Amino acid sequence: MSQGIVENLIQQLMKLPGIGRKTAQRLAFFILAMPDEDAKSLSEAISNIKQKARFCSQCFNITESEICSICSDESRDRKKICVVEEPGNIFVIEKSGSFKGLYHVLLGALAPIDGITPDKLKIAELLERVKTNGTEEVIIATNPNTKGEMTAQYLKEVLTPFNVNVTRIAYGLPMGSDIEFADEVTLRKAMEGRRQL
Amino acid sequence: MLHRTEGIVLKNTPYGEADLLVTFLTKDFGLINTFAKSPRKVKSRFGSSLEPLTYSRISFWAKEHTSLPRLTQSDIIKPFQELRENFSCFLRLSEIAELTCNFLPEGEANIGVFFLLKKIMEMMQSSCSALNALVYKIKFLELTGYAPRLKGCARCGRSGQGFYVSQGSVICGACLDKLDEVSDKKGVVTLSAGSIRLYETLKAWDVSKTARIKVSENMFSELSGMLDAHIECTLSRPIRTKTFRKETVPFPCSRV
Ligand SMILES: [Zn+2]
Ligand SMILES: [Zn+2]
Repeated sequence: MSQGIVENLIQQLMKLPGIGRKTAQRLAFFILAMPDEDAKSLSEAISNIKQKARFCSQCFNITESEICSICSDESRDRKKICVVEEPGNIFVIEKSGSFKGLYHVLLGALAPIDGITPDKLKIAELLERVKTNGTEEVIIATNPNTKGEMTAQYLKEVLTPFNVNVTRIAYGLPMGSDIEFADEVTLRKAMEGRRQL
Repeated sequence: MLHRTEGIVLKNTPYGEADLLVTFLTKDFGLINTFAKSPRKVKSRFGSSLEPLTYSRISFWAKEHTSLPRLTQSDIIKPFQELRENFSCFLRLSEIAELTCNFLPEGEANIGVFFLLKKIMEMMQSSCSALNALVYKIKFLELTGYAPRLKGCARCGRSGQGFYVSQGSVICGACLDKLDEVSDKKGVVTLSAGSIRLYETLKAWDVSKTARIKVSENMFSELSGMLDAHIECTLSRPIRTKTFRKETVPFPCSRV
């Protein structure tokens, strides 16, 4: 066994987020001990995702076909579109089971200082969908930070002519946390967004 | 070594899975880039304190001759949330932040610029006017040594009204004829005598008093056109925030 091939795998694994040298070593030796079949499926899964993954032509989710499984699912509420920044956001919202409509991925957020202008995001495509599909509600689920907020404000403006209900996901404190540790901006937002019990 | 100072966030850039690179204008160290671990996680102790324009008391670890200082703490002194919530106001401040990031050298304290930014942000919180942003540009260029020269020709001192962008100065007619290179004569912005006077006034007056000055739309656009041309020429690239503003301008919220 050459030291080189194990070291190479360790180096590759260390490129993953949250993986330091120790964990990478553990994983590398685990892979080494894996049955051939399992190791092969793992490496195939990795190469497949880079070869076959592409953006859904309607919502820009990650898919391996022209249209993603959510857009092609007839049972979903087609009158509602939830707008997110990244495909990964769809994953977590789906896992929460809180939304049964369609999505639209912007592939980023507006950032004047970084030169991210509206034409660099999938905003024109969103307007086109709203215009042609009789959308009733657009739920803006961009991140609750400055860029996400700016994007939300901008979307609200450009969606106004389409006579569609534009909503924003609520701001508030993370569940399971203590008010004592919340910062003043988060707390103020939570207070402003309070609702009747 | 652990350092403590006050700082204003100029921008942040996502890094890796949940980390941020945060650029601060600090009181004691000037412009610094820092690395913050995991502020994008929902329960991060940094909370919203790393959002642009937040004014905080910060601590960071910096080892000599090593890469990025690591931000260890950030306690909000003033969040300046209102400045971020208004689209057009945030655009004005983004331009100010962009300018500050691009002109200031890293790690050199410039207390004048720090207090100027803090003051302008406070003023913009009560009135997010374009004049306040213009005043920042003028004072900032002065404090960093990049101010355009409008008070007389750079060559002979005689008065003139043609500001030559490539020279960073007004050049009088007689001296213009003596310039050899055709490229030296390019990019002229004609300024009225009133605009030049206004510029000198804004430069000389105390920031807090400038809000009282009445500025005609004409003079305002002459001066801001000249400053932007001067800034873009000095940076040798367009101001990104300005490009952004142009692209979003058909919408009412960005007009104001
Ligand atoms: Zn899709
Ligand atoms: Zn002259």
